[in-house]
Amino acid sequence: MNSSSPLPAITPGDREPRDRRAPVPVWVFVLLFGLLFWGMYYFDQHGGWFEAQVYPPYRSLADLQLYQPATGGADLARGKAVYDNVCALCHNTDGAGKPNQAPPFHGSEWVLGSPERLIRIPLAGLTGPLQVKGAEWNLAMPAMGAALSDEDLAAVLTYMRQSWDNKAPEITPEQVQKVRAELGNRSQPFTAAELQSVP
Amino acid sequence: MSQPRASTPLPASGASATDLSCRLPGLALFLAAALWLLFGSVLALLASIKFHTPNFLADPAWLTYGRIRPAAGGAFLYGFGMQAGLAMTLWMMARLGRTALAWPGLVMAGAFFWNLGVAAGVGGILSGDSTGFPALEFPSYAAGLIFIGYVLMAASGVLAFRQRREREVYVSQWFLLTALFWFPWIYSTAQMLVVLGPARGVLQPLIAWWYSANLLTVWFGLVGLAGLFYFVPQAAGGELHSRYLAIFSFWTLTLFGSWAVAPALAPLPAWITVWSRVATVLLVLPLLTVMLNLHGTLRGRCSLLRQTVAQPFFQAAIPGFAVALALRILGVLFDAGGLLHLTWFAPAVAQCWLYLFFAMAMFGAAYTILPRLAGRDFPFPALVRAHFWLALLGGALIVAPWAAGGWLEAARESDPAIPFLAVVKSTLMFLRISTIGELLLALGHLVFLVNLGSLVARLCKGLAMTALAEATAETRPAEVRA
Amino acid sequence: MNYGPLIFLAAFFALAASWFQFVLAPMVQLGSLPQTNTLTGVTYPLARPGEAAQGLQVYRANGCAVCHSQQVGQRGTVFEVELTAAGTNRAAVAEVLGALQPGLGSGAAERLLDSLPRTWLRVKDKETAEGAQKRLTAAGAKAQVGIVPTGPDIARGWGKRRTVAEDFIYDDPVLPGDQRVGPDLANVGGRLPDVNWHYRHLYAPRAEVADSTMPPHRFLFERRKLGKAPSPEALRLPPAYAPEPGYEIVPRPEARALAAYLLSLRADAPLFAAPLTAPLPAPTNAASAAGASTK
Repeated sequence: MNSSSPLPAITPGDREPRDRRAPVPVWVFVLLFGLLFWGMYYFDQHGGWFEAQVYPPYRSLADLQLYQPATGGADLARGKAVYDNVCALCHNTDGAGKPNQAPPFHGSEWVLGSPERLIRIPLAGLTGPLQVKGAEWNLAMPAMGAALSDEDLAAVLTYMRQSWDNKAPEITPEQVQKVRAELGNRSQPFTAAELQSVP
Repeated sequence: MSQPRASTPLPASGASATDLSCRLPGLALFLAAALWLLFGSVLALLASIKFHTPNFLADPAWLTYGRIRPAAGGAFLYGFGMQAGLAMTLWMMARLGRTALAWPGLVMAGAFFWNLGVAAGVGGILSGDSTGFPALEFPSYAAGLIFIGYVLMAASGVLAFRQRREREVYVSQWFLLTALFWFPWIYSTAQMLVVLGPARGVLQPLIAWWYSANLLTVWFGLVGLAGLFYFVPQAAGGELHSRYLAIFSFWTLTLFGSWAVAPALAPLPAWITVWSRVATVLLVLPLLTVMLNLHGTLRGRCSLLRQTVAQPFFQAAIPGFAVALALRILGVLFDAGGLLHLTWFAPAVAQCWLYLFFAMAMFGAAYTILPRLAGRDFPFPALVRAHFWLALLGGALIVAPWAAGGWLEAARESDPAIPFLAVVKSTLMFLRISTIGELLLALGHLVFLVNLGSLVARLCKGLAMTALAEATAETRPAEVRA
Repeated sequence: MNYGPLIFLAAFFALAASWFQFVLAPMVQLGSLPQTNTLTGVTYPLARPGEAAQGLQVYRANGCAVCHSQQVGQRGTVFEVELTAAGTNRAAVAEVLGALQPGLGSGAAERLLDSLPRTWLRVKDKETAEGAQKRLTAAGAKAQVGIVPTGPDIARGWGKRRTVAEDFIYDDPVLPGDQRVGPDLANVGGRLPDVNWHYRHLYAPRAEVADSTMPPHRFLFERRKLGKAPSPEALRLPPAYAPEPGYEIVPRPEARALAAYLLSLRADAPLFAAPLTAPLPAPTNAASAAGASTK
């Protein structure tokens, strides 16, 4: 740069710039692919593979599972035995439900949502229209769980909440006992609207 | 479409018709941009004083810090940055296509809506209607005006490209055309999903971050680089080193820049933040290729470089670009567990990018383009030099203390034994220095406005005299140039 | 050659890649996040009460998020072995404790059993923690494994765990902030539960926090001539910030809403995505005073 006074902006002979066609150096591509490789490796290590539940500092779903508090030994085997015996006839062993007969359990907001609502359904039954996972059902479910013990009902509901990719906390016999006491000897089934009013 | 229009004859020099067609919109856009720039920097100066003197002007609600800082940012981004960028874009589209600007009236209408929108937006923020999302604070009533204004102005730019007589497409045209398309998409997406029909939960800030990354990194990056790739080779003998390198920079900047979205601590699943972090590191590729390209362009030509008044601005914008991207990459590599992003370091990176790179390039563009449009030089060349030094010093006095203070802040915040108030207080000295920087910037912008205003005033006077002479003279003067 | 469509396609492709990644995919994944249950079975989150929801608008209008983040960071998670009861065979428990921590004499170990519950081990791997818990249980004590998030933000008391997407599903707008000029507010309702503190702090920050750099928000309050008796809601300010005699400072509705919003900020529920166990209550035994003072 010279130190003489700068030229005014309008100078004769301005031409539009042209571009030469110098090639991109090979090392730029080497760097590009090296960085892409690093990026994929880093993502594999830290990115949690697109899982919605994995946030830093956890690295994967398996890592996150390690940090879940002990559930006090929910008895999934007992729950499965009860389920296969009592529920699977209508709702299928894989929790997928049956068209026009019984709604699915996996991913169902009723199964994963409020325990208070879920416990009421087998204790007194459910009737009338109901929305499950955006689909409309019209049900007449009898009080299938009324005859089960608190422990058996808690185990089967916990099994439903923790199988087929469902992930919700367990339901304890104490919770079942409490709801059973609140219902007293109610025998008429719930409607969906009635259940919605339960917290 | 691909044939030159036979009906419009090619002008002898190609330049004068272009410049005449751009005269009114170019001058109007740059003048409005300079006004918003000064207004924004006065607000930024007030905000900066409030950093360390919280009682200063605390009583009126509209002057509270939480309102004037976003207002200053909005005035800078939309009032100055995009407006000056659009002015340069339109002129360059016409000039590189060796054609006249299509429908200058459309641009004037667009500029009217745009400035109305910016005024409504800044006023809205000050009166408490801000949406609260960084870079997207303008309320929806301002956003509509801005969108209309942009589309009108961009339409003229795209038309100028379609009507071009020079079939060879220069890299700056690639960059600018992409930028013209980019903004309507991101702005409409962000407005629809964040402001008008808000998405649920954290999607709102995520889409706002996505918008601001696309606006700041991609739109401002493309327009600023288009300026550098045009004006730097022009001053250095007329040839850019490599078209292929420029296109490589284009791809890496648009792809990785629009992926570098969410900060590390954001309440978002790991894949979003980790993907953003990897993309930020990959921004080293546009950084290196742009530097390589400009180095190849300037190598061995520094002595030939024509030292126009505008040249120092471009020479400052090149390191501004490099330092901003380098700081950004360092910031994610050594991010103190995500804390660095929440300190003054992040505003320092943004300021470096928007001011030392983009605004510097736009000042250079203004000092080059406007004399051509007006057909006369800036009345006070000394003030151009003063503006340069005020802008450079002021910008550096903001970026450096914020970056250093932010780095220190993150280190101290990582140690829970240091009370948070002590962490805050350790930044105060840096913030006081940055107030000096803001003051220098405001002075520089005043100087810019005075120079630009005088240029416009003299042009108007000259035109009026000509018209008067034409009206009163018995014989028409063949050519009157004041 | 006509480059226009080519450039348009290039821009379209680049932007589409980013749009799919950061707009569409998150919309599909997070766009309809339902209420969930916390690990303790409580429904979470609940919508903010009406006044707090209005307070969020005051928060937005005055740019509180310019200076305050609502995103607690977490660097890691550790396992703790928490001893809640010594059981009947104190000597056996003390022996296990001595074995777990070789430097500890059996007498010192027995004395530690006087102030329970207490955290015993803090380790990074689960096996060690569960092994220690099993040995303590076998010796007749009651012990559990606690899960404790760590990091500077959590050590500062700004939160108990990291902030996750579920914390925000009922807010509009969602403003997690971009800078920390002031402290993080994700959990401020749990940290500072006194509404009068917030009123005084909003009116005159330095009345509550010496050297605070927060600007006062006096415009959220009304200076009123004193009636027959001071209003019950009038701020009780230190003399340096009090109005002149005969006047009182009363919060306007905006200040009430903002304070209600701040008090409603409690992002500390244990979730599957951010697990933690409830912190131990303070040791209750009378002997705990001595133990606490030597710590």
